[in-house]
Amino acid sequence: MLEEGRVVANAQIGELGTLLAVRAPEIAAQAHAGQFVHVRPGIGWDPLLRRPYSFCGIDRRAGEIELIVKPLGTGGEWIAERHVGDALDLLGPLGTSFVVRRDTRNLLLVAGGTGIAPMRVIAEQEAPRRNVTLVMGGRSVAYLWPSDRLPPGVEYLTTTDDGSFGTRGRVTDALPALLGWADQLLACGPWPMLAALGRQRDAADRAAAAFPGGRTLLDAQIAVEQHMGCAMGVCRACVIVTSEGNARVCREGPVFALGDIAFEAGEPATVGVH
Amino acid sequence: MPWRRPRKQVERPIDVRRSLEESLEDAAEGEEEEDLVELVDLDGASIAEAAAGEPDAERHPTEIADKLRESLAGAAITEVRAVPHAPPETLPEHGVDLAVEAARGLWLKNPVLTASGTFGQGVEYAELIDVGRLGAIVNKGTTPRARPGNPQYRIAETPAGILNSIGLENPGAEEVARKYGKVWAKLGVPVIVNVAGYSVADYVFVVEALDGTAGVVAFELNVSCPNVEGGMLFGSDPQLAAQVTRGVKDATDKPVIVKLTPNAPNVVAVAQACEAAGADGLTTINTVLGMRIDVAKRRPMLGTGSGGLSGPALRPIAVHLTYQVAQAVSIPIIGAGGVTSANDALEFLMAGASAVQVGTATFADPTAPLSVIEGLAAYVRAQALASIRDIIGAALPRAE
Repeated sequence: MLEEGRVVANAQIGELGTLLAVRAPEIAAQAHAGQFVHVRPGIGWDPLLRRPYSFCGIDRRAGEIELIVKPLGTGGEWIAERHVGDALDLLGPLGTSFVVRRDTRNLLLVAGGTGIAPMRVIAEQEAPRRNVTLVMGGRSVAYLWPSDRLPPGVEYLTTTDDGSFGTRGRVTDALPALLGWADQLLACGPWPMLAALGRQRDAADRAAAAFPGGRTLLDAQIAVEQHMGCAMGVCRACVIVTSEGNARVCREGPVFALGDIAFEAGEPATVGVH
Repeated sequence: MPWRRPRKQVERPIDVRRSLEESLEDAAEGEEEEDLVELVDLDGASIAEAAAGEPDAERHPTEIADKLRESLAGAAITEVRAVPHAPPETLPEHGVDLAVEAARGLWLKNPVLTASGTFGQGVEYAELIDVGRLGAIVNKGTTPRARPGNPQYRIAETPAGILNSIGLENPGAEEVARKYGKVWAKLGVPVIVNVAGYSVADYVFVVEALDGTAGVVAFELNVSCPNVEGGMLFGSDPQLAAQVTRGVKDATDKPVIVKLTPNAPNVVAVAQACEAAGADGLTTINTVLGMRIDVAKRRPMLGTGSGGLSGPALRPIAVHLTYQVAQAVSIPIIGAGGVTSANDALEFLMAGASAVQVGTATFADPTAPLSVIEGLAAYVRAQALASIRDIIGAALPRAE
């Protein structure tokens, strides 16, 4: 649906981006973790394309959603600069959402960069009913999600490329130790992170018995970051290659089974239109 | 409620600034919500699950993968979550004569169409807007066999426009007929099939595959494709364009519209050749070739290097070519290129077009095609015209 949202808060989250809280009761009422809104960057035709942002917060009671906006290009900058009280033209909620299995007791969430958005929504929703561990990776401490914006009870582990906070290395390096514990794994992040996860899954697929927690990898779900045109399923600009052929990230995705993505087909556009 | 899953205790902080009643209300509200979520979780539960108040283990281990398979399996679409059609008498355009002959023999209730490639198969945007208000829709370019399309990137933004290089990704003519035939019949809007191919036989194949499909009222030929024999674009050469037009005209009784490419050396000559070959109408224009360079990577941004430019940036070129072609042919013209508003549509109509297509604007504002209809109706009323047809060609030089 189309809804005119109203910005209710604008906060800078380190180098990660701007966290916009937007009052949009109709969209909030239907939104699920993993889905996104397509935001119009202005009221004119230049810049022209809407920008897709995954929900980073869904508050049905307040009728509010939160989005992390990276100021990429003139469109991203315009959206990131919206102040409290400004209107925002929203199209959504769009796409598929994560499915948390009912029998999952130990839930492992993996986030890279702005991929924290849907993971934070799931952490908020699932922390009261399951054991939730969130692992987040970033370039440096400035690219990590602040722990005070996570619900209490969520175990939060971090990795940084430069070792400025948490474990030095990639987020996927931290996973093997956790896979044996986890009943289910959900992830969102840049393509190289997801591809590394895909390689770990391939290894588990070849030797499931020898791979602790291999089952968790085999059933993992991921949300793919991709730039888009229409986000309504018509333009086919956002397709990626899956085991079933081309799939539109805006319709069949953005949430996919990890095993269905053909990572060997190459990297799709993941940096946003700019 | 016959059963309920045992609730976990959730600690709720009491806000001391609020009254106890308010706080309790808040807490209760949250509980209701959580109960709702849990009941939804249990919706469709087996008797054993309901009795235990807990789901069986691994009930949906592959739900996401199943969804993908279902979505891409290609089952015929029979239902669309379409917004309901509004009663005609409640619409702003009601009572205004907007009817036009968009191509010879093709009368539409208003001159606003959607452009090929920007409106899918009509079913997608039907979830958002009342497509029954449109004059017609033009479907995604259809080829004889399925095409996977081009590598990424397929789209890049440009000043007031976009470059695209999708590569005619489509499921093939027979699959389109099978998958969308049922739903087109009840979409409540005429469908024009956009036809693409690499030989005259390709175009004829697509037209024959879709000629009998319910809802299809005409064919629009995308001649911006290279001919396999020689590699020249069908639309860049008058003789090639005429060959395709003639071949398709012989294969169908429905109106045939040729979508002209601005990348031809002499667009007017192609237009005249198509008219002579029996075309019932022309669309001016398809996208203009363009390129963007990714300066960080030092290579073209699009996967195929170049792509087609569309959007408002294109409009003056499209209006100019419409104006030129309109003076050279006597068949109707459909203007296309950067239409965002009724004023833009009026430019095309006054330049000699009988109808317009809204394309790229829909990506930014899905209601744009409907706003154009409303704006044209308001114009006819404000100018006290008998019909929108009165202004077609109004800006053309007067005949001697």
